[in-house]
Amino acid sequence: MSQHATAMPPATEMHQEPSYLAVSNVTKRFGAATVLDSLSLSVGRAEFVSLLGPSGCGKTTLLRLIAGLLAPDQGAIEVGGRDLTRVAAHKRNIGVVFQNYALFPHLTVAENIAYGLRAKGVPKAEQAKKVGDALGLVRMEAFADRAVTALSGGQQQRIAVARAVVVEPSLLLLDEPFSALDRKLRETMQIELRHILRNLGITSIFVTHDQDEALVMSDRIAVMNEGRIEHLGTPSEVYARPKSLYTMEFVGQSSRMGGVVKGSSEGLVEIDTPFGLVRAPGHFMSGSRVIVGVRPEAIAAGEGPAGEYNTVRGTVAEVIYFGSRTLLHFQTAQDGDRLHVELNRLPDQVAPGSAMTLRWRIDDSRVFPAPTETGR
Amino acid sequence: MTLARDNLTMPAAPVSRWQFDAKALIAAPGLVFMALAFAVPVLMLVGDSFVDSEGLSLAGYRKVLGDPYYIGIIGNSLQLACITTAVCLAIGYPAAWALARIRGVWQVILFALIFLPLTVSIVVKTFGLTIMMRRDGIINFLLVNLGFIERPMRLVFTEFSLYFGMVNVFLPFMILPLYSVMRMLDPRLLDASASLGAGPLHTFLRVTLPLTMPGVIAGGTLVFSISVAAYVTPGLLVGDRFMTMSQVMAKAYLNIRDFQLGASMAVIMLVISAALILASSYLVRAPGGEKR
Amino acid sequence: MALFGSLFCRIVLGLVIAFLFMPILIVLTVSFSSSAVFAFPPPGFSLRWYASLGNADSMLQAVWLSSQIAALSTAISLVLGTLCAIAITRGMIPGAKAVATFMASPLMLPGLVLGIAFLQAARDFGLRDTYTTLLIAHVVITMPFIMRTVLASLSLFDFAMVDAARMLGRSYPAALWTVLVPNILPGFVSGGLFAFIASFDNYPVSIFLVDVRTKTLPIQLLNQVEMSPDPTVAAISALLILGTIVALIVCDRLVGLKRMASI
Ligand SMILES: Nc1ncnc2c1ncn2[C@@H]1O[C@H](COP(=O)(O)OP(=O)(O)OP(=O)(O)O)[C@@H](O)[C@H]1O
Ligand SMILES: [Mg+2]
Repeated sequence: MSQHATAMPPATEMHQEPSYLAVSNVTKRFGAATVLDSLSLSVGRAEFVSLLGPSGCGKTTLLRLIAGLLAPDQGAIEVGGRDLTRVAAHKRNIGVVFQNYALFPHLTVAENIAYGLRAKGVPKAEQAKKVGDALGLVRMEAFADRAVTALSGGQQQRIAVARAVVVEPSLLLLDEPFSALDRKLRETMQIELRHILRNLGITSIFVTHDQDEALVMSDRIAVMNEGRIEHLGTPSEVYARPKSLYTMEFVGQSSRMGGVVKGSSEGLVEIDTPFGLVRAPGHFMSGSRVIVGVRPEAIAAGEGPAGEYNTVRGTVAEVIYFGSRTLLHFQTAQDGDRLHVELNRLPDQVAPGSAMTLRWRIDDSRVFPAPTETGR
Repeated sequence: MTLARDNLTMPAAPVSRWQFDAKALIAAPGLVFMALAFAVPVLMLVGDSFVDSEGLSLAGYRKVLGDPYYIGIIGNSLQLACITTAVCLAIGYPAAWALARIRGVWQVILFALIFLPLTVSIVVKTFGLTIMMRRDGIINFLLVNLGFIERPMRLVFTEFSLYFGMVNVFLPFMILPLYSVMRMLDPRLLDASASLGAGPLHTFLRVTLPLTMPGVIAGGTLVFSISVAAYVTPGLLVGDRFMTMSQVMAKAYLNIRDFQLGASMAVIMLVISAALILASSYLVRAPGGEKR
Repeated sequence: MALFGSLFCRIVLGLVIAFLFMPILIVLTVSFSSSAVFAFPPPGFSLRWYASLGNADSMLQAVWLSSQIAALSTAISLVLGTLCAIAITRGMIPGAKAVATFMASPLMLPGLVLGIAFLQAARDFGLRDTYTTLLIAHVVITMPFIMRTVLASLSLFDFAMVDAARMLGRSYPAALWTVLVPNILPGFVSGGLFAFIASFDNYPVSIFLVDVRTKTLPIQLLNQVEMSPDPTVAAISALLILGTIVALIVCDRLVGLKRMASI
């Protein structure tokens, strides 16, 4: 269960490429509230980047700023080397797929798709061809003359995508495009959309609440929190090597143990936690308060070789059976500390109250400074 | 059109502090127009009522409120509005009730029949009324043939014809608000009351009437406020025999050119309408009205 | 007992409808009468009063003037009112609710008071032209009807569509025109119809603003009724009623009467 840390894909090449979309030090305030705080983001050509974050963290605001539907208080936005900060929304050539699609109910499917082409003054014959191609792309050829109100959610979704990409935008923005679909359809659409966009080679920014969706679809994920980007990285970087406690806890399940650093050597720190002594890669001053995080699937039952593994003992608080796997919760005296362990096979005779020995690779442990709780 | 708000579209309302947005300028032409063409004239009119040839004065109000003649006229207007409203309510309530209880196409048809007269010019309807009121008109024709009276009698320029006409013209304004409230009423509530052993009168007074009170208030306010200001219908049906505030205002401006008198009368009418609107919005907000 | 109550209500409703239609039907009947006096029942049938309309110049002029004023004022209100309603709905201006109330308030004021206010203001501002004065006053009269229906339509409109249109290359005004306007057309039709009727029928405001040569139809009609009532007046009234019914049917086809009637 420890492949995550070791089997890191070589995902760094995109960072070196000159950025295609460059959002630099953008600040946006609504009245007294600073919604985006000097935020920067750069995205490579043809890259698919997800913005992932809790409700109200400013994802939509960032998207609207890039689209030109809002103006930033400070900062600049460039696409393909062109400064768009002062360019009107309708001249930016940026495509948007809206959450509820915002299809035009007074137009047919084909007219919806042709709308942007007409606005750009594309000749009629060419319009018809492009509309046909776009319908083919989303496999909706048979629906050209339907009223958009007579389509299912998934079909409307496809038309919204076709309408946005048919004008060959320089950038595609998608704001929670799947949130109105049920889970099953959502999963098909994720794969399908990813496929279409990859074929077209369109640079895309995708907003989502759903971490699984972000992990499945993205080249890179930007984890946002309170108007800032906490971590920008590939899905595996974000999942397996989160840069902050926030990212670790927001993306996926995690165990967390509070503790005090006892000492450090050779890039490893030794931490005293309620579950016992734990070692992890990192540099911290002795005596600092830290939090150790581990992914549940990185933990296994039984002892491991001391040089490579952390081994602790705990009392099982809860056993949650999922069929293919089982989740164990371990309790401690301290609030907030929790150890989640995901096991493929349940060891015999484990029940709440029984004591267990657990191990995980030292490399799989992440250490973060404990959030300062001063003034209490 | 979907009711659900798109995520990319920001919520409009809960903005804590307003930020200027250049798009707000689209409101400017309409607002400026209404400020200049509506608010300014009305405010000037109020101002005029306090001014005479020598400057600031209350002479207009002294004239109106100190003269039993004008007081009587204000009384006439209020009496006209009160009686019209009361009669409209008495007739409109059961009619609206029947309209709200009928289902299917009939409801649409009957609704259209109540609604249609509203779209016919008041002048035309009042003209029709004056024809009906003639000695050889349909009212006398009916009264004689049904045996109520021996010989045709004079109806034009009587108070009877005034109230008959006022109710005729303004009744739909009572029925429609009543109807829209009654339509929402759950008939099971009445059944429940009946099944608990309440008599029809008791059910009406304790259940139906309180529940339809918002409609009564809305319809009553509407009918009162338009009939207190009515001009065409009283003018044609009784003329100078029953002077109202409207008649005085029109005369002050169009005939005797006493602008301060007209302006003072207008402001008094404005105050009556405003008071009525405020009172009704207060009553609607306090459901159950008089009980509180 | 309950049955008796409901029967009673139905009878009242039937009588009410008969009562409401009486003056209208009388006017229609009289317009087809062969006699110049309004005797009931009419002595015979004729179309002579319709034929004589061709000579009623002042009446026809009044119809033409009222049509112009009603159409123009409705059109101006539609444009100004819709723009304002958009700003109100989108929270672009502070005190949106108060602004909406203000824009709809002329409907709540007594017509004569408004008329007097316009008369005085036109004098004070030196506005001499009757036509212009009438037009401005009628924009104020029609505005509340537009505001009410357009605000109601906009509350159901998804403004993301406007953003979508902008992102597809239309400027903000073009986006409003190509996306918002077609989608709130029912509101425009019903608001416009009522605004038109309100202007076309207006008496109490216009009476203070007309002059001898420029008279709107209600003023001219009432003059005629007071001075020399003959069935010509009935004939023109009958045509007006017919026109109204045609307009209502057309609008019903367009948007549905039930929806329009939600006063
Ligand atoms: N027009 C506005 N006026 C004032 N505050 C606003 C406005 N638009 C957004 N905000 C505030 O900005 C913050 C960020 O909003 P935003 O819509 O960008 O969040 P989000 O990350 O998209 O959230 P969600 O996941 O719920 O869509 C929120 O606190 C919101 O209340
Ligand atoms: Mg959002």
